[in-house]
Amino acid sequence: MKERTLLVIVLVTTALLAAGFWVAANVNLMPAEASTRAALVDQLFRAMLGLAAVIFLLVEGLLLYSVLRFRRSKGDEGDAVPVHGNRALEIVWTVIPALIVVVIGSYSFRVLAASETREADPIVVNIHSRQFSWSFEYPAEGVTSTDLHLPLGRQARFLITSDDVIHSFWVPEFRVKRDATPGQIAELLVTPSRLGAYPVRCAELCGVGHASMGLSSQAVVESPEDFQSWIEKTRALSNDPVTTFNTMGCNGCHSLAAAGAKGVVGPVLDGLGQRAGSTASGQDAATYIRTSIVKPGDQIVPGFADNVMPRNFGERLKPEQLQALVDFLMAQ
Amino acid sequence: MTSDAIAAKPARAWRRYLGWSTDHKVIGVQYMVTSFFFFLLGGAMAGMIRAQLLTPDSTLVSAEAYNRLTTNHGSVMLFLWILPVLAGLGNYLIPLQIGARDMAFPRLNALSFWLLVPGGLLMLASFFVGAAEAGWTAYVPLSVAGPDGQTLWAISVVLLGTSSMMGSINFVTTILTMRTAGMTFWRMPLFTWSILATSILVLTATPVLTAGLVLIAMDRLVGTLFFSVPAGGDPILWQNLFWFYSHPAVYIMVLPAMGAISEIFPVFSGKPVFGYKMIAISSLAISLLGLTVWAHHMFTSGMDPRLRVPYMISTMIIAVPTGVKIFSWLATIWGGKIRLDTPMLFALGFISMFLIGGITGVFLAAIPIDLHVHDTYFVVAHLHFVLFGGSVSGAYAALYYWYPKVTGRRLDERLGKIHFAANFIGTNLAYLPMFLAGLLGMPRRVVNYDPRFTQLNQLASLGAFLLAASVLPFLYNVIVSWVSGPKAGDNPWRAKALEWKTSSPPPAHNFDTPPVVTEGPYDYGEPVQVSLAATPAAAGD
Repeated sequence: MKERTLLVIVLVTTALLAAGFWVAANVNLMPAEASTRAALVDQLFRAMLGLAAVIFLLVEGLLLYSVLRFRRSKGDEGDAVPVHGNRALEIVWTVIPALIVVVIGSYSFRVLAASETREADPIVVNIHSRQFSWSFEYPAEGVTSTDLHLPLGRQARFLITSDDVIHSFWVPEFRVKRDATPGQIAELLVTPSRLGAYPVRCAELCGVGHASMGLSSQAVVESPEDFQSWIEKTRALSNDPVTTFNTMGCNGCHSLAAAGAKGVVGPVLDGLGQRAGSTASGQDAATYIRTSIVKPGDQIVPGFADNVMPRNFGERLKPEQLQALVDFLMAQ
Repeated sequence: MTSDAIAAKPARAWRRYLGWSTDHKVIGVQYMVTSFFFFLLGGAMAGMIRAQLLTPDSTLVSAEAYNRLTTNHGSVMLFLWILPVLAGLGNYLIPLQIGARDMAFPRLNALSFWLLVPGGLLMLASFFVGAAEAGWTAYVPLSVAGPDGQTLWAISVVLLGTSSMMGSINFVTTILTMRTAGMTFWRMPLFTWSILATSILVLTATPVLTAGLVLIAMDRLVGTLFFSVPAGGDPILWQNLFWFYSHPAVYIMVLPAMGAISEIFPVFSGKPVFGYKMIAISSLAISLLGLTVWAHHMFTSGMDPRLRVPYMISTMIIAVPTGVKIFSWLATIWGGKIRLDTPMLFALGFISMFLIGGITGVFLAAIPIDLHVHDTYFVVAHLHFVLFGGSVSGAYAALYYWYPKVTGRRLDERLGKIHFAANFIGTNLAYLPMFLAGLLGMPRRVVNYDPRFTQLNQLASLGAFLLAASVLPFLYNVIVSWVSGPKAGDNPWRAKALEWKTSSPPPAHNFDTPPVVTEGPYDYGEPVQVSLAATPAAAGD
């Protein structure tokens, strides 16, 4: 190899590596880091972005250089000097990518293992999903909410499931998502590391309300003291009909001003109390509303689809919750 | 040789394309023209999607209509455009590239094209009964509960898959048994190699998808409970069956495009292809490895956590043979005498954009990153860089390159370059912003979105509209040049592969005398050694 060629190779390699390091150190494409996992994922992402920048610049650079440098001159009908291959070169560009893959693979594995390690005394949250809302149940605390409140720094152990189709629980700031699959309970570990309120999204197409699913839910990371007082406040409200309306997911499909609900899939519930008595023949308002909750298939409001509303509210609602909810809806 | 292929009179040539023909060249054109029609249709759906996403809370289309658009945009583009246009190229070229008179099973060949037509019509007809709306991935239980169009969708994909399998049986048999004298394996053109690798993949993976689709159709039609959770059915089963096909499908859609540009680089550089054997072997390696990676689509679903790492490793390893191809292409043009005609521009565009799709594929394979970006716009961007920046650029490169072979006419170079520029800028403009939107938190398949993603979405829509406009010069060019373009001569690019050794367009029987091959297809810079032997004794295989 000529000295000049060697020099060019060394210079180009140095420049590419410098560019890679610069990208890894300075380019941030991610949202806020709100969990310990997020910090690990972002480190891995930045390292890969640096490597990607090196490969990208190398290939695009070679491409551009060749196109500019090796052009056929006008009137030249001859071929170029034939080169069929070069064993050494081919080994180099097989082995180096293979080594890069090994490094990225091992690094990814370490990040995965570190972010899925169980810590002592996690707070357990059962995450229920349905078309088109989330509810978060704290079994040890005896509380259910439409918002996910988490104490800062304490590992949360989510047990995720779905009542109907597949959803996917995603908080971008936590850098992780997990599918909510009917018939399965999926586990997910997250240790929140930053105070704040973050959006909860559904990442798996789940029907007409997919885009708005979870718009009324937030992941709120707060101090342990604030978390405790939130638990106590919420527990006190457990039979409150507005709470029931939202934690049971009614707000995912129905709109109702008194509950701040803006769902668009099912009938509007404002003014329900006035019209409920005259909607189904032979049923007074209270009976109609109660039936519509526990046996939603009996009367479908014209223009809306059957088989959208869950059929199991009769089992899921405690009698006093159901009564309070019916009374509340009568007053609308 | 079949009777109607011989009987076709040049004067009425265009009529052959409208009816049943067993000539592989007619069938190839039928595939390409039909699939382009579906490309325009899938593109129109994409246009509506991007128009809806111009503003965060647009009500241009309803949520229901939006889900139907995305589902059918994906299905049409994959099953009715990319797969058949590449099958059409294969049909046209394989017998010519290996010196055969036709495909091994001409009637089966015609049947596989004619299955495409009812398959496509069924998918379109589903819009009259409530089109499929569960995504092209059709995850259960959502897809079992959807409207009637979901059943038509499943039957349509079964027909299209069957068509694809029939075509692949034909390709494998033709390539293995009908090569002309002297066309050894290591003298086969790289496009032929890529079709061989692709066909093996189709034949292994497609039956699995077909089985899954039949299960969905039975759940919907006759009340079986394969996917019913209360009855003990398993939604994850569908994901396994679906991705066992649908991940390899990416390689099915990109390998032939890679084969095509492997033909183009040597011609437009005036150099032999660099590392011929390694490129051929890497096609087979991608096709075999491609069968072992499907569960990387399921890192966030209910798979056994211990199984994730092997799938991550196998997925990342695919970067190695892919890298071999890219570096071999770069070495092919290095030191060449490059001509920047339109086919070469699209081939160069393929590398520069497919590279982005390939690199981001490694990000997606890394489990911790996938758990964040899975099912977001990051994935949408990645797959469009692979399939639009890659497969579609490759298909365009191939169409520009072999157009004179098919028609005997030249396309207008200026229009071709305008098309390339608009396509290249449009692709990057449409899909680069999506990476950022996904990383920042925008899920895919959403009819409305968080207002902070507005600018990124507007850039993407602008790019998509530019892509739509870029099709116009291409269409005009193809139609007008076919009627009145300048005569191309038999070998306008001065290429050395076997398909250029016969007239353009070729006679019904492809070669006047069966060719005898004595050298490889890319011997640029060396004396011509492929000869058309006149002795009948040398004929046949």
